[in-house]
Amino acid sequence: MNSTLDDNLNAAAETVVGPSVKIQGDLNSEGNIKIEGQVAGKVKTTQSVYVNEGAKISADIVAGNGVIGGEILGNLKISGHLVFQSTAKVTGDITCQILRVEDGAQFSGKCSMGSNGNGNGKKSPQAEVEGE
Amino acid sequence: MYYYILDQGNIPIEKFERLQTQLSGLLAEFKIGGEVARVTPLRSVQDLVEIASQRACKTLVACGSDDTFNLLLAALKGRDFTLGFVPLDDQSFLSKILGIGDLLGAVKTIAARRIERIDLCKISGNYFISSLEFGVMSQNIKSTGFWSGLKLLSSEPKSLKVRIDDSYTIDLEALGGLAVNIRSTSSKNQKIANPTDSNMDLLILEPLNKMEIFRYKKDIAEGVLENVPKSTIIKCKKIEFLEPRGLPLSMLGRIVAKFPATVEIIPQRLRMIVGKNRTF
Repeated sequence: MNSTLDDNLNAAAETVVGPSVKIQGDLNSEGNIKIEGQVAGKVKTTQSVYVNEGAKISADIVAGNGVIGGEILGNLKISGHLVFQSTAKVTGDITCQILRVEDGAQFSGKCSMGSNGNGNGKKSPQAEVEGE
Repeated sequence: MYYYILDQGNIPIEKFERLQTQLSGLLAEFKIGGEVARVTPLRSVQDLVEIASQRACKTLVACGSDDTFNLLLAALKGRDFTLGFVPLDDQSFLSKILGIGDLLGAVKTIAARRIERIDLCKISGNYFISSLEFGVMSQNIKSTGFWSGLKLLSSEPKSLKVRIDDSYTIDLEALGGLAVNIRSTSSKNQKIANPTDSNMDLLILEPLNKMEIFRYKKDIAEGVLENVPKSTIIKCKKIEFLEPRGLPLSMLGRIVAKFPATVEIIPQRLRMIVGKNRTF
């Protein structure tokens, strides 16, 4: 799943935020988003979001799937798969259906997972993780 | 009824008259004859579009250079025609985009009448269907030699400020970029530069190192920036170019506006006759 998600994003990201780019405001897209720069505001897409190593985001993210390798200060609401790569630093609450955390990823916040993909399942397990 | 607007533009008179004779023969051969009107100092493209409108013509065909077609777009003023294009200029960018080819190919295309609804872009009273460039981009690279092109790509980046869709602002250091509706080269990523998706694409080129310049010079010259590392790609409906003030925005090497300027897309506005080899 992860490699497929990666391949899809690299092949067909409709929105790519380059490494020297600073975005301020609400970034909305109907396609995949790949972020290598800085975003302050909100990020929203029905498809996948890929936050590259080196990217810095101070924003809430709402997306279909997510692969996180950079720094995020904000909440993530992912309706499908969420992957924290080893370089990820996330401070905020996350909601997703399936979560994978690689060795070395840092996450501080609440984690809510549900079978309906919104993190609002009736018997959804909840996890809290602090630090690495 | 077809209404053909013939514009000599910068074509030498002997060549233009030869092409005009060829065109008349081909229109008769493919049974797509109509009224043929020539642009003169007293009758501009705009005047001829007015006449076509008064005569209730359904199909307007610009015969000339890419500029002729852009003048035709500016003269439409919301009127609903089906549009065609016959390139009389060997260097036509639009003929590649629309998959038309040469004079014979263009007439065959019009006769086949494959029509696509495509998006139209507007900037400062000018209309276009192709792309706008700023800073160091493909037209600069194409029009200079190899070493001059490399020197241009090694130049100092500019601090760019752009607002997108009245929603967010982008600040970055960039060499140049493109606002694209259609481009003359096809790409693996069919979602970029698709003139039927009701969006345009903003492609921005960030500074590159020497190895990257050598490796990606061809992609930059063709405007395929999604193949170039560190490039920014934004799909949007409205772009406000804010800073640096005074930076020219050009279309096919001709300056059409300067920063600050706003580009907007008018979705599915044109009914365009296209060829099967079109790039979208």
